[in-house]
Amino acid sequence: MTKTMAMEKMLNKADLAAWMGKLETHQLFAPMLEDEGVWNYAPVVKAADVALDQPNTVRPPKDFVFPQRETLYRFEQVRGEAPVLTETLPDPQPSVVFGVRPCDSRGLVRQDIVFTKEFDDPYFQGRRAKTIFVGQACKVPPSPNCFCNSVGGSPSSEDGLDLLMTELDGKYHVKAVTQRGADLLAKGGALFKEASASDKAAVAKAHESAKAHPQRPIKELGKVAGALKQNFDSKAWDEMAKACIGCGICTFLCPTCHCFDINDEVTCSSPCKGERVRTWDTCQFPDFTMHTSGHNPRETLGSRLRQRVCHKFQYFTENHDMPQCTGCGRCISLCPVGIDIVSVVERLGQP
Amino acid sequence: MIDVAAIKAHAKALLEKGTVRAVIGYRNSTAGLLAEPFVFTGPESVDDLIYGPSCVQNLALYLVNDKKERAHHKSDDARPVAVVAKGCDARAITVLLQEKHFLREAIHVIGVSCEGTGVVDTKKLARKLGGKHAVEIDFDGGEAFAVTTADGVQSLPAAEIMAERCLECRGAHPQLADIAFGEAKTDRALHTPFQAVKHKMKEEQDNRWSFWARQFDRCLRCYACRSVCPMCYCEECVVDSIQFAVLPDTTAEEKANRIKWIERSPNRSESAMYHMVRAIHLAGRCIDCAECERVCPVNIPLRLLNTRLEMEAFETFDYNPGSDMNAPTLTSSFKDTDPNSFIR
Repeated sequence: MTKTMAMEKMLNKADLAAWMGKLETHQLFAPMLEDEGVWNYAPVVKAADVALDQPNTVRPPKDFVFPQRETLYRFEQVRGEAPVLTETLPDPQPSVVFGVRPCDSRGLVRQDIVFTKEFDDPYFQGRRAKTIFVGQACKVPPSPNCFCNSVGGSPSSEDGLDLLMTELDGKYHVKAVTQRGADLLAKGGALFKEASASDKAAVAKAHESAKAHPQRPIKELGKVAGALKQNFDSKAWDEMAKACIGCGICTFLCPTCHCFDINDEVTCSSPCKGERVRTWDTCQFPDFTMHTSGHNPRETLGSRLRQRVCHKFQYFTENHDMPQCTGCGRCISLCPVGIDIVSVVERLGQP
Repeated sequence: MIDVAAIKAHAKALLEKGTVRAVIGYRNSTAGLLAEPFVFTGPESVDDLIYGPSCVQNLALYLVNDKKERAHHKSDDARPVAVVAKGCDARAITVLLQEKHFLREAIHVIGVSCEGTGVVDTKKLARKLGGKHAVEIDFDGGEAFAVTTADGVQSLPAAEIMAERCLECRGAHPQLADIAFGEAKTDRALHTPFQAVKHKMKEEQDNRWSFWARQFDRCLRCYACRSVCPMCYCEECVVDSIQFAVLPDTTAEEKANRIKWIERSPNRSESAMYHMVRAIHLAGRCIDCAECERVCPVNIPLRLLNTRLEMEAFETFDYNPGSDMNAPTLTSSFKDTDPNSFIR
């Protein structure tokens, strides 16, 4: 996304619904209460119901650009004839996603690297180009397991966002980070007032106080990758994975995990008809690394835990000069048995 | 009240004497309020062993995992493994023994009675605390929990923040144990068994389907419900193929034509199929530890599916899984009093 001149505006909280009303060219999404304690992104039905100060969503916003199921193409073959393939590149309605926490938008930056820099993925890029992400700066860590500061982020990071909103006493400070963010802001017209010098001072203070809130610490982030490399053969991996049940919670709900499986789903056998689809997959499942020979190089839970942690903190760092983990804390809070990536890094990722 | 020091002393003595390979128990977690299952292997490590209302996990699962791991490492240590077991954990172990998953002498059961309480339901606790964050929870006498927040310690009636399964529990005292701690309270006077599922069944059929359709639509297919279940020990689960025999002469066509019962796509039909298969496979085997429901990150009320079938097993066949390790399993037994004439 091209960077633009910093554009900072103020919006009365009561006018949020009016601004949303002016964005009819886009489909709007915001965190909604899906079940007790479960917030997830859902289409905005009544703008007046949108509240942006809830805890973070269970599902990260990666769904918008890397959905759990993506059709790669359709196929059809009449017996004896050549197969016919039909392209299914996504062309979604433009959308705006509100309430994205900075850890999750930094997760989008990492998804960008995987699906743009490492590979040119038209499915991801088609969705990414049509989705505007509006961030919500955190005032206090939304979870006791937050650690964005410890992995180079911050509760008010703008990485990966088009707009960043910060709540200030009955108002939102809204900063355009990209041109399309600025365009979205402009649609609000007179609802937005120019941010004054004192507004800007207040927002800087709010960001500073949010950053000062204690979080789970990782002492020497710069040395984590090297230490993990040293400890590849440590017996501690097996020990720390003893409690692991081998489910997909930590990875499916990670804003940066991007592994997928590809399958053909046949809907009709004569003529042979169906779709080639990709669905989320995870290094925690037993068949993830299963070879056709029957050999499984990561048969144990310890080797799978090591893969998850080392991908986040060693391999990605070696390849892209930044840890993949953005410190949202979901894998810790939602783990059924208390496996804690911060504790693991503290034990095996410190010199 | 449970004497945790006595449990620790017993575990320590077992490891010191070397009569067991390890003790499967709980320790404090760095991740949050709930305990972390842990395998204690040295006597000194037992200092970290805890027991309290945060010890929600069913440790029978770790006996199943232990068996897998021993096979993987080709371990020849024949000593038993000890396990801390609440009433529900002990029932799960009993089912595993009924199914000959391992031998009775391969395990040493350290039974712990839930007495008049049970384990905490963190959602109920959060509701009760209204925004305050609990950092510690312990027993407070036989019928209350002591909850620590930033504001200090408060005593809350256990029945108000206890897991639903504990309210309906029919065996809070472990029947299967080599040693048992705590008072064997039989009359808990909490909810009647199957109360929640009976309540749900009062709804109209159409409403029930729309309720479940919504739940299946929300399913992530992370399989945490399967992975946490001690009864889901199949070598090869219907949802993932790990044991598909691939030999040097297996053709590409044979590999491609392998039946896929359930697609990976997370849609209503595939997810419904997955949950139905799991529920049916647990009929007459589920001991209602409700771990499947607890671990679901989006709150799918899976316990309703399983207790519905347990209710059937109990009301139709007078069968209560996990009550007798020597009894034949429900699906492998037959009685002259069977209510169905076609089978008599």
